[in-house]
Amino acid sequence: MGRPATVAAFGKRLLPPIVSISLLLSLLPVGAARAADVSVSSRTYLQYYERELAGGTKNRLAPLSEYLSGDAVNLGGSPIAFHFYGWGRVDLSDPTGSGKESGDLGSAYLEYLHPQGNAQVKLGRFFLTEGAAMETLDGGFVKVTTPLGIGISGYGGSPVEQSILDNTDTGGSLYGGRVFFNRSGLTEIGVSYLKEKGPFQGKDRELYGGDLWLRIAPPVEITAQATYNQATKGMASQRYALRIIPGSRFDFSAGYEAYSYRDLFQTALHPIFVTPSAAIDNTDKVRTIFGVLDWEVVSGLTFELAGKNIRHDRANPGTANRGEAGVRYTFNDKKDVFGLSAAVVTADRDENEYQEYRGFVTFSPSKFRLTLDALTQQYKQAIDGRKNAHQIVASAGYKVLAYLSFSGDLTYTQSPTFQKDYAGLFRASLDLGTSTGGQK
Amino acid sequence: MTRRAPFTAVFGGVLIALLVGCSAVSQTPSVPPKHPEELPAGRVDCLECHKDVSTGALKPYATVRHSRVFIDSHGTYARQGQNLCASCHVPSFCQTCHARKDEIKPNVKMGDRPDRMAPHRGDYIATHRIDGRIDPGSCFRCHGNKNDAICRRCHK
Repeated sequence: MGRPATVAAFGKRLLPPIVSISLLLSLLPVGAARAADVSVSSRTYLQYYERELAGGTKNRLAPLSEYLSGDAVNLGGSPIAFHFYGWGRVDLSDPTGSGKESGDLGSAYLEYLHPQGNAQVKLGRFFLTEGAAMETLDGGFVKVTTPLGIGISGYGGSPVEQSILDNTDTGGSLYGGRVFFNRSGLTEIGVSYLKEKGPFQGKDRELYGGDLWLRIAPPVEITAQATYNQATKGMASQRYALRIIPGSRFDFSAGYEAYSYRDLFQTALHPIFVTPSAAIDNTDKVRTIFGVLDWEVVSGLTFELAGKNIRHDRANPGTANRGEAGVRYTFNDKKDVFGLSAAVVTADRDENEYQEYRGFVTFSPSKFRLTLDALTQQYKQAIDGRKNAHQIVASAGYKVLAYLSFSGDLTYTQSPTFQKDYAGLFRASLDLGTSTGGQK
Repeated sequence: MTRRAPFTAVFGGVLIALLVGCSAVSQTPSVPPKHPEELPAGRVDCLECHKDVSTGALKPYATVRHSRVFIDSHGTYARQGQNLCASCHVPSFCQTCHARKDEIKPNVKMGDRPDRMAPHRGDYIATHRIDGRIDPGSCFRCHGNKNDAICRRCHK
């Protein structure tokens, strides 16, 4: 059974005219003004590693990947922009995947942004986070905020998804919207709706969402985010947090989150989440209490503490606790960072307990950049016969020009998966732009 | 009714509402499309230059300071609007991690940036068995219906 032709084709048909219009607009002269501010970013990665196959033969893998993004704003002198992002891979040696080539178009869309930033239109393929939605979509999005602070947004099109299984449908069409109210510096509250036609355990995906940001007093904020699954008639997920930010150096948050396997995972296309093939009990529910602290004790020296208590309704996996402590020291005019961290996971079941320790440092003298990152994990119960894992990543780079730099990474791994593994990566980074101002 | 009809109806309705509402669009300066000044290298702290709350529909600068607290909960803020993020980040920034079928882990792409938060460091093929058991919801957000290519090697 194929994907519904109409909506998918509609989304795909949008892309060529959008690219054409964007190129045309960027060529239009508008007085003496530049027809567009253009920036292009390229990341080229050449990796090299070996993988042992069953029978003892070795594959030598050398994938060459290119990640390209481009942004053209003020097209034709108007508040219209075109954004593009995509990647492609070709294998220079043995195939890394099902073929020797692969790639994906992440986004390609036209955007209108109101001069004061209070209205927006997107058309094409784009990544969207709006209320209950966190999607990549072939379609359109509109959003307007009125002088009263009441606003509305809507979107629709074909979801850009991927199913782990060949010949399995993904969603056919997706639409939704959000109504919200905001008051500068005080609150933003929204309700949202999302519906996706598709093969989600015999039902469509239909969600109602609610979100809240409320500043009770200057240092105290409350956030809330909840999603109700209409298809299963149950709360899919909830997250509530209290955050205290008394100054620029102290940030603390504590809260509660919960989700139900049945109601959250109903919308999965990945069989690991879905009964009957699920490796997990889909009647389980999870309730988590968490706290996070970020405290810059003196300029450049920051302590981070985090803790989580994760409780399951089912005895397997039962309860788990994760505690983390870390320190970061920033130096060399904030260009470089030294960090140490430790995390301990305790649990009802030995198979779920482990400890993790990490240290990293970056050093950027002049045009050079050197980094070292070391991670070790100790499992209470062996995984594939091994109770620990180690990885060290060393990187060295040189900035040839203000917009061009090269770097190389060498990674060494010993773990349950890799007895002794070396991997190399060469990276070329190019950033060109005609506009002023900063985006990263 | 065809499968396209609901989309057309909703999207058309919103467009009409937009046209009617254009005259009622707030003229209070909100977040600019691009940060007017060059941003320095490393993690930027808005509070070094900005104070409290800007005009328009902005949250306080302290709220979006990129502390560990903010980074852990950035999705909550992003779901109320991406414009604020887009002021300092190019749109493709999100897709460094939030991809459909990326083949290179974020921490490998950013091997020269160990200072940045990136998921799945180390041999995560081993560790995900534990994290997946104790908190599968955290996997689901990114791998429930996309970005599953690497899962295919074992989960069939």
